[in-house]
Amino acid sequence: MTENADLANVPEAMHVPKKRSRVPVVWIVPIVAALVGVGIVVQKYLNEGPTIRITFLSAEGIEAEKTLIKFKDVEIGKVMHVNLTDNHTKILVTAKMEKSAEGMLDNDARFWLVKPQVSLSGVSGLSTILSGNQIGFEPGTSKEKRRDFVALEAPPPIMRDRPGREFVLRADTLGSLGLGSPVYYRRLDVGDVIAFNLAKDGRSMDIRIFVNAPHDKFVTPDTRFWEASGIDASLGADGLSLRTASVTALISGGISFETPSSGPAAEAAPNTAFTLFKDRTTALAPPQKDIRRFVLRFRESVRGLSVGAPVQFLGMTIGEVTDVGLEYKGEAFRPRVEIATYSYRFMEHLDKKALAMQKAQTLGERMDVLGRLVVDKGLRAQLRTGSLVSGQLFVAVDYFPDAPKAKIDMTQDPPEFPVVQGDLADLEEKVKNIVAKIDTVPVEEIGKELKKTLETLNRTLARVEGETLPEAKKTLEDLRRAVTAAERVLASTDNTLLGPDAPAQQELRDALKEIARAARGIGVLADYLERNPETLLRGKNKENP
Amino acid sequence: MTAVARTGMREGFVSCEACGLLSRPVCAEEPGECPRCGAELEFRRRDAIQRTWALIIAAAICYIPANLLPVMRATSLTGEEPDTIMSGVVILYETGTWYLALILLIASVIIPLAKLASLAYLLITVQRGSVRNNRERTRLYRILEIIGRWSMVDVFVATFVVALIQLKPLMSVAPEPGVLFFSAVVILTIIAAESFDPRLIWDSSQGKQETNE
Repeated sequence: MTENADLANVPEAMHVPKKRSRVPVVWIVPIVAALVGVGIVVQKYLNEGPTIRITFLSAEGIEAEKTLIKFKDVEIGKVMHVNLTDNHTKILVTAKMEKSAEGMLDNDARFWLVKPQVSLSGVSGLSTILSGNQIGFEPGTSKEKRRDFVALEAPPPIMRDRPGREFVLRADTLGSLGLGSPVYYRRLDVGDVIAFNLAKDGRSMDIRIFVNAPHDKFVTPDTRFWEASGIDASLGADGLSLRTASVTALISGGISFETPSSGPAAEAAPNTAFTLFKDRTTALAPPQKDIRRFVLRFRESVRGLSVGAPVQFLGMTIGEVTDVGLEYKGEAFRPRVEIATYSYRFMEHLDKKALAMQKAQTLGERMDVLGRLVVDKGLRAQLRTGSLVSGQLFVAVDYFPDAPKAKIDMTQDPPEFPVVQGDLADLEEKVKNIVAKIDTVPVEEIGKELKKTLETLNRTLARVEGETLPEAKKTLEDLRRAVTAAERVLASTDNTLLGPDAPAQQELRDALKEIARAARGIGVLADYLERNPETLLRGKNKENP
Repeated sequence: MTAVARTGMREGFVSCEACGLLSRPVCAEEPGECPRCGAELEFRRRDAIQRTWALIIAAAICYIPANLLPVMRATSLTGEEPDTIMSGVVILYETGTWYLALILLIASVIIPLAKLASLAYLLITVQRGSVRNNRERTRLYRILEIIGRWSMVDVFVATFVVALIQLKPLMSVAPEPGVLFFSAVVILTIIAAESFDPRLIWDSSQGKQETNE
């Protein structure tokens, strides 16, 4: 068998002893695969964050499996489902949070919808235009864990970790302030309005502001806040005053504050309540101490006098009108004006020496001085027109030595301060006098005289018409006749001298003909003489033709 | 062919798998090395069944995360979107390109699954000493070897997409762990098919009449 012989020649394999494990190494592969698979499952399970539910008022802009929950722009969760609540009034958003966010989901954590917002104070949430709305998140400070939340209706105005302090301002009205209105300190934007609400009794506004660190240390218990909103135009007895803040504040309103340098340096505690003044002047006015009140009983109209109008002493403001009213006294109604004078304002105008004197006096002594001035120098109050344009009045205190005698009864409270008629009343008086004088003029008699004169004139004219006029007419007719005669004379003269058959003309023509004939004779003679000049010497030759 | 098949192993010879040289083994347990090329000689691929089983099981394990985990993550201005293989199929189908969806479904889901199933079928039949459909089973094995590598196309596509679509910040694509598991499935099935010895199919019919002829 050739086959067998061939097979006998098949070479023998080499023997290389090898040790072999009974179980093939290849089983490691599925074990590794299984381990990796289990590892992934375990990791996934371990990394599984908590599932939370957030209640929203509306699902606007929230999409399941798309809308992200972000904290400081880091994704910490994702909306999984959007459903209606059981009573169909709200939206229940189920979200899967990252494992890392678990510690932040405490009792007072806050959620809100971030939308692009454009307001006067800036633009926010712009990135959501492209990426779609997202849910903002801010962790709370409490230790208690929570899984069900109610979303805020609007983004919180400040983040909890923003350094600074919150204060409350009381104001009568909100003015032109709004959420986010800036708070200025020396015109530097240091904070903003974060909330406002009516006070419980509805009579004032509580405005919450936030002042950023480190500027919040400038707010002390003595700090004054005022509205730096827009244009502050006031038309008073002082004339028109116009004050504007920065352009932003002009548009969106704002609050300014300043701390009087004299105040204590201690910082105000958070949530301290302050009064929000209308403007800087009232805000920075020193506390109103040492007020003296007086009553002024004018006899003229107080039209144009308003509460707050200044009281000026020799042109310097020392107080203001606090009340304008009526009073029934002496069987008639009279205006009753109450004024308040402030010592500090009076002392502002004193020089140092007088100031020392003033300070040395007690209040009673000072009042005595005032009483003496009233009696001796005629110190009186008077209504004056502050501005002719607006007709605003103010109270002037001045010396009127000619004024009728008066004095202050200091026992009354408030004491009555003597008054004199104001400028306007004076003017009225003068006009009245003029009218009275006009009244005395005898208009009736003048009229009678005038009538008489006119009658006389009338008679004269009648006479002129009756007698003089016919005469004149006759004269005129005579004159016309004379003229006609003259005309006739002139016409006959014309005929004699100038008409075609006038004798003068005829004669003239004949004379001219004679002259012509004579001239022709001279011509003939001249010709004859030229031809026969000898005739001049010999006479005419008879033979010659 | 009515005769009983003669095999090298029954005749006491072993052929080198690397250079094809037929040689006489040192002994039945340790055939030794090829005298020509030095490759290790084996009557049959060693532990073929165990090895194939191990690889198939590993591939089956990897097949689960390969389909569950996202393969790619597309980041665009409107957000991020992770895609698994099946979500890709669904998106393609929904956007109207059902033929592309079909290709993806066959190449990425059905073929790996079919490979695993076929190899398992071959192993089970060999272990049970089945003598039926030997030719068909051999043909099945050949098809497995040929198509196995084509599943890698998916992995290549994913790699290209990730490398090319980097239009930050407009759009970018990043690979996700799913693609690793998917390529593991493909590679493991290729190796599994490789480690299976088709000669085993015929060993069962030793001394028996071919049933399919």
